[in-house]
Amino acid sequence: MSEDLYRLVYYSRTRMGEEVERFADGVRSVLATSQRNNAPAGVTGALLFNAGCFGQVLEGSRRAVEATFERIQRDPRHSDVSLLGFDAIDARAFPNWAMGFVGTRAADAERYGGIAVASGYDPSRMSADHLFETLHRLALEEEHSAVA
Amino acid sequence: MALNALLQDRADWPADAYVAALVELATPVLLVDRDGFVEFANRQVCAMLGCSAAPLLRLDDLLASCGVDGRPALPSAATPEKMAQLRLSDGRAVNAEARYLPNGGAALSLNDVSAFVREAERARVDPLTGLANRVGLHGALADMLAAGLPVAVFCIDLDRFKSVNDTLGHPIGDALLRRVAERLVTIAGPGDVVARVGGDEFTMLRPGDASPTAISETAERIVDLVGRTYVLEGHMLNVGASVGVTLAPTDGSDGDTLLKNGDLALYRAKAEGRGRFRFFEADMDAQMQARRAIELDLRRALALKEFELVYQPQVDLSTQAVVGFEALLRWRNARRGLISPAEFIPIAEDTGLIVSIGEWVLRTACREAASWSHPAEVAVNLSPIQFRDHKLVQTVISALAHSGLEPGRLELEITESALMDETDTVVATLKTLRGLGVRISMDDFGTGYSSLSYLQKFPFDKIKIDQSFVRGMGDNAEAGAIVRAVARLGTSLGMKTTAEGVETQEQLDAIRAEGCSHVQGYLTGRPMSGADAAALLASRGAKIGKEA
Repeated sequence: MSEDLYRLVYYSRTRMGEEVERFADGVRSVLATSQRNNAPAGVTGALLFNAGCFGQVLEGSRRAVEATFERIQRDPRHSDVSLLGFDAIDARAFPNWAMGFVGTRAADAERYGGIAVASGYDPSRMSADHLFETLHRLALEEEHSAVA
Repeated sequence: MALNALLQDRADWPADAYVAALVELATPVLLVDRDGFVEFANRQVCAMLGCSAAPLLRLDDLLASCGVDGRPALPSAATPEKMAQLRLSDGRAVNAEARYLPNGGAALSLNDVSAFVREAERARVDPLTGLANRVGLHGALADMLAAGLPVAVFCIDLDRFKSVNDTLGHPIGDALLRRVAERLVTIAGPGDVVARVGGDEFTMLRPGDASPTAISETAERIVDLVGRTYVLEGHMLNVGASVGVTLAPTDGSDGDTLLKNGDLALYRAKAEGRGRFRFFEADMDAQMQARRAIELDLRRALALKEFELVYQPQVDLSTQAVVGFEALLRWRNARRGLISPAEFIPIAEDTGLIVSIGEWVLRTACREAASWSHPAEVAVNLSPIQFRDHKLVQTVISALAHSGLEPGRLELEITESALMDETDTVVATLKTLRGLGVRISMDDFGTGYSSLSYLQKFPFDKIKIDQSFVRGMGDNAEAGAIVRAVARLGTSLGMKTTAEGVETQEQLDAIRAEGCSHVQGYLTGRPMSGADAAALLASRGAKIGKEA
């Protein structure tokens, strides 16, 4: 792994409106943009969304993470972006996971939406560590169920 | 020998000798006939335009075939000289100077002025951000106004930029300014001009018709986008943006007026708390004039002895005794009457007058307190601006020495805002002051950022809980909980806690129950003259409650 690794955790509220379909389209478009832009820059991470909130982890070299976050900050679809953490790390937690999206299928969205409601998930009330751990756990679950 | 004579002498030269000379001339030269066809082009023209001298093309067609931008107008007998600037396909700027010839045609000489043009452009560009600079801004605005376009002018000022620059250094500050510039450029549409006109000041011009709603949205977008967190060189940085908006032709038709009005609106946005935008309104100018008038009076107030101090008792809740007074500044002007500190202190801070006014307060309060028969404390407020004055410590030492006041009786009250900028320097100053034996208290706690880290950075003697919490205690449980939490915090950190603004017996009972150690408010004593304060102490019946 390259030296100079950083992890950035943020959440944001979106301006995509309340309709689920449009919201899901919006998330897909953010995801597509993220993957297109970030894969060549070596930025990996995880994206979690729920009822108008994104929670996202970005990992990569400091410059690449900074550039990615700056692009997010300039995206009018993101409003109310809160940076929860930005720290140097030893290794990636999402190494081969070029911006996985928790719940790519409608069923998954429902599944995680259900978890979210049940656990009172609200990224805006989470600390950077908590959000990161939640994403990491969900990613591992996803990987596990893909193997099974 | 005169040139004419020389030419006449050479009249025997064959014509082709002149032509040969023209061909080899170091200056690019074109000859055009009366109908605009190119009759002749010398070697230098061909080299400059990058094309061969095609026979009998129209001049415009020749230039077009060489990818030249711009078409020179040809002279006539009435206007025998014409000048035009052309842009070559490789970007060079060339001046074409056309002179009328007796045969009805014209001689054009071309002159590469790229270096001058680049220089002039550089003079209009901010080298740090690549945006227009003040010169470029004025030029662009003048062009838009001359074209008769409506223009929205957004004057933008960064909030808290100075502290980034001071704490992280200029390289980070410069990198941040470039990021801010980039974000502004993403907001700008085609035809908009973005300029950096000062250290952390930017201006955006938006020509063309736009609805007030659209202009508001743009201003809001500037505030939002510039105010979003930056991650830069491993740092998380937060600055805000205040924006003043003014419109041409509604608010003004010349550049200077517009930019002045934009600044007035910007000033208002900042005065109202920063991180917001305001449109220019006609009365802003009048209000600014009124403010200037206050400033003028304020500058004379010390000399005219228009300031006075009043003293509000501070009571120890465990003994019910008056243990000190907070010195409060009053300004009484012959024409204006009594002026509220809320009105003049911000002006005194903006102008720096607070430093000399603050010194007067300190000296006067110390002298007054030294005359009291009972060694009560006197509390004096320090403005954050006073900490930027390197003589603050010296002034305190001098005030104590001249008055003979024992240092332990002087309490200096500072607000959190004093600690927000240059925290380390301020903490160092506080430590020096504490070293003199002076007490330091945190004033208005709860109204600012209320960062507990400030309490950790410096061991205050006392925390003063803002009166808004005391007033709120009756109505909402949260205010009570905050008072209780701060009182407990004070107890565990070994700091006294004073509840401010206590006006009723219920409030007094409540803050006593929550564990505050001291109280200050109308109930336990209104601000009074120095003489009355001295008399109150002398009576030694300085107890509160029913007997007070």
